[in-house]
Amino acid sequence: MLDLVQSILDGVLFGATYALIGIGFTLVFGVMHKLNLAYAAASVGGAYCGLLVAGLAPGVAPAWAVFFGAFLAGGALGYVVYLTCFRFIPLASPLATLMATVGMLLLIDEIIVHVTDGMPRNYPAMFDDVMLRAGEITLRGDLLLVFVVSVVCMVGLLALLFRTRLGLATRAVSQQPVAAELCGIRVTRVNAATFVITGLLGGIAGALIGASVGTLSPLLTTPLTVKGLIVTVIGGLGSIPGAIVAGLLVGGIENLFQMYRGVTERDLYVMLLLFVFLVFRPGGIFAHGAGRD
Amino acid sequence: MDFYYGLAQIIGVHTLLGLSAYIVLLTGQVSLAQAGFQAIGAYTAAMLTVLAGWALVPALAASALLGALVACAVGFPALRVRGLILVVATLAFGEGVRLFFFNFDYQVARGGVRVGPLGGEGFRQIRYFPEHGWTTLEVMLFIWAIVAAVMAALWWFDRSRYGAVLRAVGEDELAAQSVGINLMAIKVSAMTVGGAIAGVAGGLFAHYTTHIEHTNFNILVATFALAYPIVGGLASVFGTLAAVVFVQGFLIEGLRFLGDWRNLLFGALIVLSMNLRPHGLLDAQALARLKRLLGR
Repeated sequence: MLDLVQSILDGVLFGATYALIGIGFTLVFGVMHKLNLAYAAASVGGAYCGLLVAGLAPGVAPAWAVFFGAFLAGGALGYVVYLTCFRFIPLASPLATLMATVGMLLLIDEIIVHVTDGMPRNYPAMFDDVMLRAGEITLRGDLLLVFVVSVVCMVGLLALLFRTRLGLATRAVSQQPVAAELCGIRVTRVNAATFVITGLLGGIAGALIGASVGTLSPLLTTPLTVKGLIVTVIGGLGSIPGAIVAGLLVGGIENLFQMYRGVTERDLYVMLLLFVFLVFRPGGIFAHGAGRD
Repeated sequence: MDFYYGLAQIIGVHTLLGLSAYIVLLTGQVSLAQAGFQAIGAYTAAMLTVLAGWALVPALAASALLGALVACAVGFPALRVRGLILVVATLAFGEGVRLFFFNFDYQVARGGVRVGPLGGEGFRQIRYFPEHGWTTLEVMLFIWAIVAAVMAALWWFDRSRYGAVLRAVGEDELAAQSVGINLMAIKVSAMTVGGAIAGVAGGLFAHYTTHIEHTNFNILVATFALAYPIVGGLASVFGTLAAVVFVQGFLIEGLRFLGDWRNLLFGALIVLSMNLRPHGLLDAQALARLKRLLGR
């Protein structure tokens, strides 16, 4: 029983990173109604760029500086993805955009493999020696940090979306791009801003994943892409609170089945969870009646 | 020379895989499940020839049938959802199939060796071609005969009423529905045909590589299946063939002399080709120009 609670708890804490990736997918989908498959790769790429900070001052660069580097680099990569895959491809050909993001995913993956010679890199962690105890249950300090930073990012994002002019513009474009343009909102600029914002979130998510796993490897991108997409769908397309809850849910379920059924079968149950949602709640966790899209 | 025959085999099987995604894409559905259907076909055909001792052609027919059945079964619930949710649902199905074969053991002792699929190690010793004395050339010709038959069938489909209905659904679902087209039947039938083609592709793949494992059917393969018709263009079946030759022949084999840099160029060239030709290499205009050149 205790193992059960412990493993679910660890999973939920790690699930915060899935939630961040899911938010990235869902935000881009909400604003542009397009899928950015390069997102998880760009996030891991951002985390790698964070390591460059550590390379500038070897041994002395604190972990938070690496995280901050990843955060900024993620935003820059988000803008690059926007330019290469969305800016110049006509809106009417969604398949071309989809394929271009796949090309970008492969490109980012290969650049990482090329630069690091295909070897996984160690990632600095913070608070990895801290253990919080609540009775018999322990909370790993690094996982707790992942959770707290993710929550801070999510709150920041929600504040940005609902308290600033840029957020108002973003929501306007996601509801009615044509009407928003008629009101004088520069749609291309809002789209670019969305990519930068999701990129920033992705960079920090990549860094947190690197920190909690301990190493960073390009092999992370595919599972992250799949998990992020599943989180997006379970949470409901375009729904940010849905993505947060779904991320934590997927993290918890994944860790639970890893304990009971082993690591090779783990993801099978996550897929089953997705199908349960697709059949019974196709609009996502917080759907009101019929889902969108 | 055997190298080029081998390359032609790869191109043939990938063309089939691309065509299986092509027919689903015609209805406007983006399916990442094709690698899953291919896996089902591959394991079915290999188990039938190796474990049950069937001949190749009935085994391939069985994998086509099973691929079609599974695709039809997936099609009904999955096609209730549209657009991005369908992408994720089919992706999850494909990954689910891969994980199933990752955990799938069924071994039989045969002549002192245990053969059959064994979880993560995969399915070794699919030796139908060597045992029956097929040369590489014969295998290649066999694969291309099937590719030609499938391409001819799809080309003919495109000129039939069925093909027109498929494209109508892909262009505008609402308009198609309002002229009395049964969307569900059309989408599920396209999915079923795609599943059958992917099943055959899997069966052929299992036999020419002689060793299959779950990683042969991962998301990358599913995205490639989708990439061929999109990069090549949906205007005609030849677009898919052109894209497979471009990707497998030029990007993967032709650029081998670049070493490591080839992989970097690969993604960049896909991004570039989508920016420059959003409707594919062989889009409707290019096809019309080609027809004029050929004097039609």
